[in-house]
Amino acid sequence: MSEKLQQIINKQHKTLAGDDVKIDEVIQLVGFIVGDEEFSVPILSIQEIIKPITWTRVPQTPPYILGVFNLRGSVIPLIDLRSRFGLEMIKHTEETRFIVMKNGDDVAGFVIDRLTEAIRLPKKDVGPAPETISEEESLIDGVGKQADRIITILKVDKLLERNF
Amino acid sequence: MDEFQEILQDFLVESFELIEQLDQDLVELESHPDDLDLLNRIFRVAHTVKGASSFLNFDVLTHLTHHMENILNLARHGDLVIDPDVMDVILESIDLMKALLVRIRDTGADSGLDVSGCVERLDAAASGNPIAAAVESTPEPEPEPVVEAEEEPDYAGMSDAEVEAEIERLLSQRQAEDAAKRAAKQTETAQEEPDYTGMSDAEVEAEIERLLAQRQAEDAAKRAAKKEESPASQPKAVPAPIPAAPAPKPEPKPEPKAAAAPVPKRSEAKEEGEGNRGGSTVEQTIRVDVKRLDHLMNLIGELVLGKNRLIKINDDVEERYEGEAFLEELNQVVSIVSLVTTDLQIAVMKTRMLPIGKVFNKFPRMIRDLSRELNKKIELEITGEETELDKSIVEEIGDPLVHIIRNSCDHGVETPETRLAAGKPETGTIQLKAYHEGNHIVIQIIDDGKGLDAGMLKAKSVEKGIITEKEADTMSEKEAFGLIFRPGFSTAAQVTSVSGRGVGMDVVKTNIEKLNGMIDIDSEVGKGTSMKLKIPLTLAIIQALLVGVQEEYYAIPLASVLETVRISKDEIYTVESRSVMRLRDEVLSLVHIGDIFEVERVFDNSEHAYVVVLGLAESKIGLIVDSLVGQEEIVIKSLGEYLKGIEGIAGATIRGDGGVTLIVDVAALMQMAKSVKSTVGQESPEAKGRGGVKTSASDYTVMIVDDSKTDRTIMRKALEPMGITLVEAVDGVEALNVLKQGEHAFDAMLIDIEMPRMDGYTLAGEIKKYNKYKQLPLIAVTSRSGKADRMRGVESGMVEYITKPYSPEYLMNVVKRNIKFNEGL
Repeated sequence: MSEKLQQIINKQHKTLAGDDVKIDEVIQLVGFIVGDEEFSVPILSIQEIIKPITWTRVPQTPPYILGVFNLRGSVIPLIDLRSRFGLEMIKHTEETRFIVMKNGDDVAGFVIDRLTEAIRLPKKDVGPAPETISEEESLIDGVGKQADRIITILKVDKLLERNF
Repeated sequence: MDEFQEILQDFLVESFELIEQLDQDLVELESHPDDLDLLNRIFRVAHTVKGASSFLNFDVLTHLTHHMENILNLARHGDLVIDPDVMDVILESIDLMKALLVRIRDTGADSGLDVSGCVERLDAAASGNPIAAAVESTPEPEPEPVVEAEEEPDYAGMSDAEVEAEIERLLSQRQAEDAAKRAAKQTETAQEEPDYTGMSDAEVEAEIERLLAQRQAEDAAKRAAKKEESPASQPKAVPAPIPAAPAPKPEPKPEPKAAAAPVPKRSEAKEEGEGNRGGSTVEQTIRVDVKRLDHLMNLIGELVLGKNRLIKINDDVEERYEGEAFLEELNQVVSIVSLVTTDLQIAVMKTRMLPIGKVFNKFPRMIRDLSRELNKKIELEITGEETELDKSIVEEIGDPLVHIIRNSCDHGVETPETRLAAGKPETGTIQLKAYHEGNHIVIQIIDDGKGLDAGMLKAKSVEKGIITEKEADTMSEKEAFGLIFRPGFSTAAQVTSVSGRGVGMDVVKTNIEKLNGMIDIDSEVGKGTSMKLKIPLTLAIIQALLVGVQEEYYAIPLASVLETVRISKDEIYTVESRSVMRLRDEVLSLVHIGDIFEVERVFDNSEHAYVVVLGLAESKIGLIVDSLVGQEEIVIKSLGEYLKGIEGIAGATIRGDGGVTLIVDVAALMQMAKSVKSTVGQESPEAKGRGGVKTSASDYTVMIVDDSKTDRTIMRKALEPMGITLVEAVDGVEALNVLKQGEHAFDAMLIDIEMPRMDGYTLAGEIKKYNKYKQLPLIAVTSRSGKADRMRGVESGMVEYITKPYSPEYLMNVVKRNIKFNEGL
């Protein structure tokens, strides 16, 4: 009995110790699906997440820039991430969302297929972006491993950078 | 230190304001040398600046202004006649004063500029007129002490009695000043800038007392001076004050801080006194940081958007709950909010308004300098300088006006000899007018010079490679005038310091376009030129015309919209692969908004189109849109960092329904229109697809136009084996009608030349006027085989010329070739 108790105590101890580590080196992300892949961005770079609203096309822009929309009086660009990643654009569904991201004064809305969840990931589980990715290399900050899935972490500042 | 900074700021603001007025006054002075009011005013400026700068320890500035004061003082008392040479020196000194003030503003010190040369010239000018001064021997020394008693007594030349009188005067003045100062201390601001309207009764009384005492002292000094005056001291009197001044200065002003402060005060008091006599009152004003006004304007902008939205919602609610009691109330509230918002907007806009005189003020001086430099006689007439417009526009409009006026002086107005020879008055006149016209302010610059010669402008432009000869030939007179705004264009045969370097007028155009303004030039050779700048009153909130294309909307600044016209598509012609239309007696080039903004044209069925005629600077263009939505007040918002600099888009606005509408950048649009491949009047992609993708032989359609039934039958027989669709018409008129009905998409037309009602050439010419039939192959089938006939056929747009008789195979081959018949089908 006492041995078992001791085991439990030990286990709790371990978990607690593990938690301590996490508090220090955990990153909080918001995960979402674009195409077949799960991506994520740091939660602090997200201003808000809204359901799709109407937008206005802006001429002379690449196809992935859908246009601009009105977010409570501000005119904000809207970027389709599917198209940005070279995937085919699809019709918006019930689950489509606009994620409004900001980096300093730069703000833009991004269309994603659906949200997954808020993710807490220990830093040690985040690896560097695979070297084979060349063109989109600059957009990926790292790759997070969690249980059975792989989450690509995007660089928000790169996403918000004008590249045309 | 902070206090000092504050004083310095006030000093600079005040000085710059004074100087602005000064330039104009001085030039006016040259034409009215004996206008005492004017002289007094100019003198006071120099004096005020001197007083304040000595207080602030700007020695160089004090030194300079002191000498300016001297020379002006002489003039003020009629001892010195202001001739152009003297004026040159004075103007030079004023420029130097400006430079010093700018230096003080930028660096906080007035060192580093050499004023000694100018001071010497000032002194020379002051004493350089001894004959004029000596002729009237008595007034010479007399006014000297009077003035000096007031400002800077000439102690060196004074007798004992005079000195005593002077001391007495200074004492009483000091007392009065002290009294005033004590009174002034009660109100903080009075120290620097006495605000008489804001003073208490006691303060005003103290001030009056002070002024009275001063006046008495002055009178006493004057009397004493008169008595003691001796002829021997006369010749010395003129130059004396200058070297003598620095020495006695510490005497009346032992502590510059105490004594100098009232100096500007005194002169202002006089100014005010004069103002009162003149019947005008001192305006109550308050200085406000421009940033605060800008912020206020932004807030109003948001409010206007809110108002627009409220009105939209009100309309929706009205539709849904028609007849309900609460609607009435809602309506009232909405109207009040909208009314107040509009008033508020106007009120805030007014706070940002400045009279355009602020810009105009510098031109009399400029004209004067230019006319001397160019040896021309030019007079400037200014009207409407009180016309007000937004501060930001006032700032932008200065440069373009400078360029235009320089241009008028240099190229417009002729030399006096030429003018006399042409039977014109020797002196040229440039009129500068400003007035309101609707939501615009119009600034007009009219000269009575030699005018613009359209032919010469064209020749010069061709020579400089700005335009091609072909372009020159098709150019209207107005368009030719517009050439002066092209970069690299200058008609001055010689490069002068004034103009001829080929920059300048293009700056005018760019700046005016930046303000969404328009330029209109009118000119007649030998009579003169009139340039009209039309500028919107304000920039942040604008009136816009909303237009629709397919399912998109765009806002066009109303300031650039000249008119809108509804035309049928038949009225669109093609000249050198550009779409044009006839607008009254003008040919207007057209561009479809959809081509500019890459709008996918899904449906394009209407026979009619709306053309928005846009005017900017001196150019015009017709913009074809699908629909006109209406006029709305819009607030310009930027598209942000990510999307900035998109060609043709000036910004965005939020509409009443919460959607975003893009604002057209008319200047950029005009540029883009030049390179856009026009699809005006062409079939929509769908229609093109119908004619483009052929799935069977019967998809090909060919029209046969011939008045002889036999000929039609021969052709039909020859082509039937191909299996293509054939349509017949008996003459040109019918053929045109069939074509217009649009029932068939023709791939080619076989046209006889000799036909009643409308012959083949005319028909071909008519067909080629339509853009969408530009590529339609027209094949002439005729018995006329002369070379001249063939030439005419080619000229009217025929691609092939088949002479009767012909073999059926030959005809078939020609048709096949022209419709790109696919044998595989």
